[in-house]
Amino acid sequence: MKTGAIAIAALLSLTSLAHADEPENFIKYRQSMMTAIGGHNGAASQILRGKVAPPGHLAMHANALRDLASDLAALFPEGSDFGETKAKAEIWSDWSGFEKAAGDSKTATAAFAEAVAGGDAGNIEAAFKQVGETCKGCHKTYREKDD
Amino acid sequence: MLRWPALVLLAAVSVAQATDGEYLLNAAGCVACHTAEGGRPLAGGRAFVTPYGTFYSPNITPDRETGIGTWSRAQFVAALKHGTSPDGVAYFPVFPYTSYRLMSDQDAGAIHDHLQSLEPYQQQNREHDLAWWLGRWMMKLWQWWNLDPLVPMPVTKDPMINRGRYLVDALGHCGECHTPRNWSGVMVRQSHYLAGSKQGPDGDAVPNITTDRSNGIGKWDADDLQYFLETGALPNGDYAGGLMTDVIDNSTSKLTAADRKAMAAYLKTVPAVATP
Repeated sequence: MKTGAIAIAALLSLTSLAHADEPENFIKYRQSMMTAIGGHNGAASQILRGKVAPPGHLAMHANALRDLASDLAALFPEGSDFGETKAKAEIWSDWSGFEKAAGDSKTATAAFAEAVAGGDAGNIEAAFKQVGETCKGCHKTYREKDD
Repeated sequence: MLRWPALVLLAAVSVAQATDGEYLLNAAGCVACHTAEGGRPLAGGRAFVTPYGTFYSPNITPDRETGIGTWSRAQFVAALKHGTSPDGVAYFPVFPYTSYRLMSDQDAGAIHDHLQSLEPYQQQNREHDLAWWLGRWMMKLWQWWNLDPLVPMPVTKDPMINRGRYLVDALGHCGECHTPRNWSGVMVRQSHYLAGSKQGPDGDAVPNITTDRSNGIGKWDADDLQYFLETGALPNGDYAGGLMTDVIDNSTSKLTAADRKAMAAYLKTVPAVATP
C-alpha cells in the first residue's frame, strides 16, 4: 500500500514536471521574451531617433536588452519546433550556426549597454546599429516570414 | 602631350559612370532576386513560388555562355524595359519589366554597363517549373493585351516627391510585390496600388504599404519609413522578414539618405486603400 502511494506520488510529480516543460508552454514563453526584446528595441530606437527624450530611459532599455539577450539559445530547447511557432527547423539542424548567431546578439547587446553607459553618441549609434544587424540576421535565417 | 589630360578625363568619366551604374543596380533591387540563397550574387537561381508555377531567376553576370555577356546595350534595355529577350522571346512578368518600363533609357543603359563590368560567373540557368496550362508563347499575347501605351509618370511641383515616385515605381518596383494582381498576373494599380497582396514571391502574404491607418502604414511617419528602409526595423521593434530583408540589405540600405527620404515622402502621399 505504502509503496503504491509513493509510486503514485512519484508519478504525479513527474507529470507536473513534464507539464512545466511542455513545448507549447515553452513556445509561449519564448514568444513573450521576443516581444519584450522587440519592445525595448523599438523604444530605444524612438529615443535614439530623437522622437522622445524620457530621462534615463535609454540605459534602462539598453540594460534590459543586454539581460534579455544574454542566453537566447536557451529559448530553443530541442522539441520546441512544432505548433504555433515561426522557429525554423534550421535552428536545430544547424545548431552551431544558431548558437553563434545567438551569441552575436549577446555580444552586440552587451556592447550597446556599455556604449550607453559610456555616453558617447557616435558609439551608441554604431552599437545600436549592430544590435539591429544581429536581430535581422538571425531572423532572416532562422525565423519563418510573418504572414 | 595633349592626349594625356584627355585620357585622364576619360578615365574619370568612366569611373563615375560605373559608380552610377552600381548605385542604380542597387536602387533597382537586381541583387535580391538574381541571387540564390547563399549563391553567387547576380548568378541567378532564386525560386519564386507563384500561382503560375515556380520561376527561377536567370544569371545576369557577363558570362558569355550562361549569363548576359554577349548582350548589347540596346538588347539589355529592350529586355529590362520591354520584356523582350535578345532572341525575341517575351519574358514572364515575374521579371518586373512592367515597372522597369518607367525607367529612363539612360539609367537602364548605366545598369547594363555596370553589369558588363563585373566578373563573369558560369552558372547554368534553371528551367521554370510552370503550371501545366502555361506556356512561354502566351506571353507575347499577354504583353499585347496588358502593356498599355506608356503614360509618363505624373509630375508634382515637389522634386523630392517626383524622385521618390521614380525610386518606388520605376527602380524599386515596390508594387511588383505590394500591389495585388488579377487572375492574369496584372497588377491592379488603378484600384489597389500598393494595398498588399495575398500571394507574395515567397508564397506568403505581402503587407499593405498605403497610408491606410489600420491595414497599411498610415500610422508610420516619414521618419519611421526612412529608418525602416535603412535598417529593416519596424516601429514596434521587430524586423522585416522574407524577401524584404534582402531588399533592405541589398537595395534600400545602400541608397543615399536623400533618396530614402524621397521614397518615404512619396509613400506618404499614396492614397489609403484597404487590403483586398
